[in-house]
Amino acid sequence: MSALADAPAHLVTAAFLDKLRSIVGDGNVLAQAEELLVYECDGYVVEKQTPDAVVFPTTTEQVSQIVKLCNAHHIPFVPRGAGTSLAGGCLPIGGGVMLALTRMKQILEVSVRDRYAVVQPGLVNVHLTQRLKGTGYHYAPDPSSQGACTVGGNFATNSGGPHTLKYGVTVNHVLGAEVVLPDGSVVELGGPVEDSPGYDLTGLFVGSEGTLGICTKLYVRLTRDPAAYRTMLGVFETVDDATQAISSIIGAGIVPAALELMDQGIVQALEQAFHFGFPLDAGAVLLIEVDGLEVAVDDEAERITTLCLANMAREVRRAKTAQERQLLWKCRKQAFGAIGRLSPSYCTQDGVVPRTRLPEILRFITDCGLRHNIRIVNVFHAGDGNIHPILLFDERDKEQVERVLKASDEILEKCIDLGGSVTGEHGIGVEKISFMNKLFTPEDLAVMQSIHDCFNPDGQCSPGKMLPTSAGCGNEYVPRKNPGRKASL
Amino acid sequence: MTNAFTPATQTELARFVAENAQGAKRPLTPVGGRTALHFGYAGKDGAQVVDLHGLSKVIDYPARDMTVTVEAGLRIDELQTLLRTERQRLPIDIAQSARATIGGAIATNTSGPRRFGHGTFRDYVIGISAVDAHGKLFKGGGRVVKNVAGYDLCKLLTGSRGSLGIISQVTLKLRPVAETSAFLWCPFEIFAEVENALGRLLQSDARPVALEVLAGSAAHLIANEARAGLPSASPVLCVGVEGTPQEVEWQLDRLRKEITPYGVQDLIRVEGESAEHLWTALTEFQTSADDPLTFQANLLPSRCMEFADAAVKLGVSVQVHAGNGIVIGQLPEEAATVEQALAALSSLRQFARQAKGNLQVLHCDPEWKSRMPMCGDPEPAWPLMRQLKQSLDPHGLLNPGRFIDA
Ligand SMILES: Cc1cc2nc3c(=O)[nH]c(=O)nc-3n(C[C@H](O)[C@H](O)[C@H](O)COP(=O)(O)OP(=O)(O)OC[C@H]3O[C@@H](n4cnc5c(N)ncnc54)[C@H](O)[C@@H]3O)c2cc1C
Ligand SMILES: Cc1cc2nc3c(=O)[nH]c(=O)nc-3n(C[C@H](O)[C@H](O)[C@H](O)COP(=O)(O)OP(=O)(O)OC[C@H]3O[C@@H](n4cnc5c(N)ncnc54)[C@H](O)[C@@H]3O)c2cc1C
Repeated sequence: MSALADAPAHLVTAAFLDKLRSIVGDGNVLAQAEELLVYECDGYVVEKQTPDAVVFPTTTEQVSQIVKLCNAHHIPFVPRGAGTSLAGGCLPIGGGVMLALTRMKQILEVSVRDRYAVVQPGLVNVHLTQRLKGTGYHYAPDPSSQGACTVGGNFATNSGGPHTLKYGVTVNHVLGAEVVLPDGSVVELGGPVEDSPGYDLTGLFVGSEGTLGICTKLYVRLTRDPAAYRTMLGVFETVDDATQAISSIIGAGIVPAALELMDQGIVQALEQAFHFGFPLDAGAVLLIEVDGLEVAVDDEAERITTLCLANMAREVRRAKTAQERQLLWKCRKQAFGAIGRLSPSYCTQDGVVPRTRLPEILRFITDCGLRHNIRIVNVFHAGDGNIHPILLFDERDKEQVERVLKASDEILEKCIDLGGSVTGEHGIGVEKISFMNKLFTPEDLAVMQSIHDCFNPDGQCSPGKMLPTSAGCGNEYVPRKNPGRKASL
Repeated sequence: MTNAFTPATQTELARFVAENAQGAKRPLTPVGGRTALHFGYAGKDGAQVVDLHGLSKVIDYPARDMTVTVEAGLRIDELQTLLRTERQRLPIDIAQSARATIGGAIATNTSGPRRFGHGTFRDYVIGISAVDAHGKLFKGGGRVVKNVAGYDLCKLLTGSRGSLGIISQVTLKLRPVAETSAFLWCPFEIFAEVENALGRLLQSDARPVALEVLAGSAAHLIANEARAGLPSASPVLCVGVEGTPQEVEWQLDRLRKEITPYGVQDLIRVEGESAEHLWTALTEFQTSADDPLTFQANLLPSRCMEFADAAVKLGVSVQVHAGNGIVIGQLPEEAATVEQALAALSSLRQFARQAKGNLQVLHCDPEWKSRMPMCGDPEPAWPLMRQLKQSLDPHGLLNPGRFIDA
């Protein structure tokens, strides 16, 4: 544990709690041990630490006052949305105050004419999608966790989703934000219009994992709904064939709206859960969606079908009805949920490789699983080269846990070797801090550190996250004792 | 601008900047194609020019990944020619592509008509290397299309106008080329009708990639450049579509039906070579610098037609990227003194602010600069940006006095 984690916990006194209550009201502060237990971890369940208090601000002004109060008492603080982070972004290192933004969940404005919406950070992603139904526009970022995660959490982690292949990740859809800086001051970055003069601080804040400040309002871009789409399921004998097909599709200059791979292990679990009619003997299936003009989608679907067949696909099915399409997507988005059927514990990795290297990394993953005797299944954003190998194990078996950790690290290191990254969308959090030195040089990290220090000089805002040095004294980070088990959804 | 230092490698660039930081501490001005050096305030005298044109190597072009890694001094036309061999492109319109460099284009975050359909540099730069004021070569992002490790330095450096680091290498996400493209050129009588048509197009069955409105002498100028015998009545709504011949045909047909009810005088198809000329004219308009002053306003798209109407009444010629709320305006020759120019600008500046936006001058008589909003009216985050500049460039060596620290 880092030095901060060992800092005395009694900084949060009864008098301090009273001050918190006077800011947000009695009903918006939790400080009892049993109440705090829920907040000891997020979707990364390996490291646990309870905060000393959880507050639920309802206005920007309250967020600002809480932050100022924490500063006055030298108490660390960390923002939290729905807590679905898979990288431990919400871990309250050193205890202190957790600001849960889930009660700031209003949609403040929707302007279809000007193609933007203004929302509060605690809004659940899918609620914005629902609100926009019928307007001809939607909010494009669609993480698989969109039924639970917040737009503020998406902002902080620069979330992606199946449709980011064509439409880009969160940052491509955020125009501006109101943020409370680590000193408690409130500032607007960007706004509803494009090209605000000056540096793109909005772009810098997206993906900063809460280390530069707390987002209290977002200006997001609305995207026109596709005129038409076709959703297909390509069925392959082997994962290798499926990944070759992906390379061929992208290589042919086709950018589908989504291109997701599910291997046999996942398909079997999904079939048990949803009875879709997936072929249980197939090595892998590709969920492929193309969208565009009605006059064009059939042609594109046809080209993709041909490429799949040329890469040994057994068959390519089309979703014939809207319901069939919806069910396919439901299966994909709830794939993680189905894994509980396969194993008592699991851990998901989030690596990226250039998409032409997918066959290689998947072969490596298979080998790696065999070598360490760990079962690995795969469901991932294949079109982006963003892999999510899921390592299945039993948490009670310490020796197995060791092997899972080894295998995970080997896979991520292989991603780096192949010219990729150790995280495509889940973030560094506390989980992957030790990889930062492998991805970046000391010079790169020094620049990132100066940016961090410029906004968050005392490091009290989300301490111990993302940068290997952000805890203040050297290269400390939370060491991983266990692999992440499962996202609690 | 003599005695430019022209590094041949990124290491050489870094060494030069490091020696400067430890020694003479002269202000440094990175330059690419020198097409936009007038951007921003004049800056300090005696700056040492660092010319990037020697850094023009293609580092890696894995075409099947649809990404490319190149050095910052590579010229835009060379880059696009290379990409075309694989039927790919960077779908950003960049003026003077035979001179402009990829580093300069990113440093100025330039864009053009296709930004409605394809976005801007912040959507395409996935990896970046730069030399900081101390002479350290650093990078952000990587070579893969999805990556959230560390702070997104690509975003920070895009549009930073050489004030935070000298960009030395970039990795870009690419798109397939469009098979063909075409426009509908639609002259109107009044702006209110154009606004109604634009409102309709937001729900169009087509998916246009450019929604341009031209007014004042801009319509005339651009019509001439397109060499297609287009009527230059003003205002003109000009809608661009791309795709297969079939997609283009279908969209033109739809658009015609959708726009017709709105008091349009004519709907003229622009295709083939004429369409190519028109794309170029729409891209180059912002650089036609014979006029005394060129500005860019950004505001809510729904307010753009009112803004354009007001501007035209002041004699300004305007190009509106109407889908994005971006207005490029050129003052008439009559605005020959700085007072006249300021007078013409003041109401427009106010209008833009009131429509949640801003107005900045891109180009004007160098003598006028000190009195002009060369970087727009300060945004609320300005102090924060200054602080950032100060912490990355404590001695103010990179383009000092030209941008945030002016
Ligand atoms: C089943 C499952 C599927 C998932 N699928 C995807 C996927 O497809 N794509 C993807 O990208 N991710 C996915 N994730 C990961 C996770 O859902 C995303 O990272 C999501 O954006 C987190 O949102 P949240 O509201 O839960 O944030 P939290 O987990 O509460 O917080 C995440 C990080 O953001 C910070 N933060 C939260 N709110 C704010 C704020 N307002 N201001 C500043 N910082 C803040 C926190 O401090 C923390 O560092 C998945 C997770 C699960 C459990
Ligand atoms: C009269 C005129 C008006 C223009 N108006 C507009 C306009 O309104 N909007 C628009 O978007 N474009 C405009 N441009 C387009 C301009 O061509 C682009 O911005 C161009 O891509 C800049 O590239 P360059 O290589 O010529 O850059 P240069 O002109 O050489 O440099 C432009 C700026 O970027 C910095 N810079 C250059 N290279 C680097 C580098 N490698 N690293 C860091 N900083 C660097 C320079 O210090 C300078 O501040 C205009 C051009 C002209 C000539």
